Amino acid sequence: MSGMNEIQRQWDDFHSYVERRDVIFYHVGYFSQTIIAAMADAVKLRVEHAGAVAQTRRKLFSSFIEMAQNIVHYSADSYEKEGNSEASMRHGAVFISLTDERYYLHCANPVNADVAEKLREKLEHLRSLTIDEIKLEYKETLRAETPADSKGAGLGFLTMARDASAPLEFELSPASGKDSGTSMFYLRATI
Amino acid sequence: MDNLFIAASPSSPEVDFRFDERRLSLKGESYPENAAQFWGDIIAALRRFLSEDTGAEMVTVNVALAYFNSSSTKMLFSLFGALNDKAKAGTEVVLNWYHDEDDDTIFEFGQELMEDFPDLVFNDHAVKSL
Repeated sequence: MSGMNEIQRQWDDFHSYVERRDVIFYHVGYFSQTIIAAMADAVKLRVEHAGAVAQTRRKLFSSFIEMAQNIVHYSADSYEKEGNSEASMRHGAVFISLTDERYYLHCANPVNADVAEKLREKLEHLRSLTIDEIKLEYKETLRAETPADSKGAGLGFLTMARDASAPLEFELSPASGKDSGTSMFYLRATI
Repeated sequence: MDNLFIAASPSSPEVDFRFDERRLSLKGESYPENAAQFWGDIIAALRRFLSEDTGAEMVTVNVALAYFNSSSTKMLFSLFGALNDKAKAGTEVVLNWYHDEDDDTIFEFGQELMEDFPDLVFNDHAVKSL
């Protein structure tokens, strides 16, 4: 009967790690519009339960949707069904943590080299701006023509930067082996 | 022309454009997978109504969107641009802009609209939080 509490022990290990890292929501796997809409419901409930005030909940929700839809649009790892080239399901990960009353939204997904370079340029630029400059650039982009290579009107990162309480943080790390040519893209927003 | 009704989905709003009553309503949340396509079709129908319309009476637009993602934001801007053109041409267009009383983001977007589209009669409606 040595295995009697084994399942419970596995859960305890897992929970203690999740608690130590202050994780309140986590998803890794494929992202599609349907999955995002279901997660959106779960995230709303979770942050409400965590006690976030309405304005924080709205900012968290907004950044969560932008991140999740970025994965659907730009992740280099897409789910291909046989005979179906519609790549509207792509692989990535997202988690939300809550430390000392601050919320952190993290996402990660692989990107192709050309996308990686554009992300680096865009995010380094955003990191150099003050919040007032971000708001100004948001207003200008809202009124400008949509860039041809954008599926989100070029406003996605600006929206996240505007809602965050600190500059967006990111890392790009080149993959090796069979995935060489792609990079892992990590993004963190502080709300 | 026919009225346009699109039922709400988990990630798209209810669209209730009663062209015959000159009353257009949007209600819900907007983060469809392809905002350019979702809103593009709606804007095309709206433009057709606005160009064919010969009535002189007021057009009322009621917008109660609790959330819209970045790509929807851009498309909404074009939608209000089309309405502003109609107002500029002499038809009174009233925009009732509903938002939660403490939702600064949607309130501020309304202010942007008011600034850019001065021909619309803009009414801000702060709704008490539920």
